[in-house]
Amino acid sequence: MEIEEKKGRPFLSILKWFIPVFLFCLSVMMVLYTPAFQDSAFKVKSWMNSKPLFEGKSPEALENLALRSSRNIASIESKIEKLKPVKPYIVVNTLENRFSLRNVDGDTVRTGVCSTGKNELLIAGNKRIVFKTPKGIFTVRNKQQNRPWVKPDWAFIEDGLPIPSARAAERIDYSTLGDYAMEIGNGYMIHGTLYQRFLGLPVTHGCVRLGDKDLEVVYNTLSKGSKVYIY
Amino acid sequence: MLVTACLVFVSIVTVIRPVFNRNPFPRTAARNYSEEKKKAGKDEIVNPGEDTVAAPETFSNSKDAQNKLLELKRKENLLRSRLMLATEDSTYLVLDLINNLAILELKGIPLHQCHIIHATISNSIKLYSKEALMGWIAEPFALKNVEATIPKISYIEKIAPKDTLEANKMVTEPKETKLGDVLVVMDFERNLRLVISQNEQPDPDGLSLISEIRTRYNKIEVSKSILALTKFNREPVKPQIEIVIPKSDATILYKALPFNTRIILKL
Repeated sequence: MEIEEKKGRPFLSILKWFIPVFLFCLSVMMVLYTPAFQDSAFKVKSWMNSKPLFEGKSPEALENLALRSSRNIASIESKIEKLKPVKPYIVVNTLENRFSLRNVDGDTVRTGVCSTGKNELLIAGNKRIVFKTPKGIFTVRNKQQNRPWVKPDWAFIEDGLPIPSARAAERIDYSTLGDYAMEIGNGYMIHGTLYQRFLGLPVTHGCVRLGDKDLEVVYNTLSKGSKVYIY
Repeated sequence: MLVTACLVFVSIVTVIRPVFNRNPFPRTAARNYSEEKKKAGKDEIVNPGEDTVAAPETFSNSKDAQNKLLELKRKENLLRSRLMLATEDSTYLVLDLINNLAILELKGIPLHQCHIIHATISNSIKLYSKEALMGWIAEPFALKNVEATIPKISYIEKIAPKDTLEANKMVTEPKETKLGDVLVVMDFERNLRLVISQNEQPDPDGLSLISEIRTRYNKIEVSKSILALTKFNREPVKPQIEIVIPKSDATILYKALPFNTRIILKL
């Protein structure tokens, strides 16, 4: 009789242990795999607005708020506009080695490849010289055609040459910078290059090199005081 | 039966009940964020502050008025944040999740813009209404911690040659550098976590690095969950936004943003 009773209720005996196991597994899964449903979700609300913003306000009050908000928006937009450059500017991407010349409205008038710093650390005894293009916002300080390059010390160190005196003739190079050069401060320039085949690659000692045609357009578009954005 | 009852009670108290109590606005229905409108804007440099918001007019009803005012306030906050960061000298990121754009800006000028291929927003953000979120996104988020699979700055070390003979032997032809696989995890103030991952399939080495970081963060969350279960109290969860963008864009964004960067969130 006992054996027959047990055989007649297999489903109930399975259900007895299945439900608690299932509930336990469900709880564990919800804890482990859905942290977003945790109690802590409400703790984020310390930064959230704690009460409805416009509750209980009349339509007239809402209109006034909207008007004030619109005026604020217009004021802020004009302040942002004043921060924008008043002359054409250039944006240089050092990772992709590309430049973008833009007009005052922010429209791109010319893009192309360039060469930027090779991110190299030259170790010469105790000296550590870093060759990279600095990032940030710069201003064209000076523009010059056929500018000679006064070689700094690192140009000689890199070639294994002895460093000459400051006024030595070997320091003057008339061909490296190309037809045009624009100083952007701290010894960095936008200039031409003899190595046109390296354009698009990070090969320079920090300056931005452009191809001949691009350089001419950039030189003729930018003026003293134009902004240079490098990232 | 007693064990079952205990398990059910624990599940209700620690998991089920908080789920239903999480909405701070009983009157405001939580909206699914994925239902928001998306605009195209792939090639043009988009000004994230520009929105098509209707000028204030005589509102037909209170709800309509509230919605329009909410949009105006949202735009005002966004512009105020942009102005705040534009007056500084640092690069910052504008994450426009409505237009699916990530824009690198400096002094209000968009330097680089990339289209977000896919964005995943965690539930702790999605389940809150726009009204509730306004306080959270009103100001820029400052970066507190960052971890990535690629170095932020890397230099090739070179020993200066002793003479011209040695200099001539050195390799002068530049090699095109291969971009490493990218996963960036950025923790900001107010508990925001931003994960930037690449769209391209990573190679085996990159995949192991990416998996290692993801596994580590998941383990931290799991251990927190288990600890919460024992204490009936848990640390605040980090609302997470994960964006998938091309590898080159992810690399650019990570390398261009300074260590103390800030981001503006447009939701």
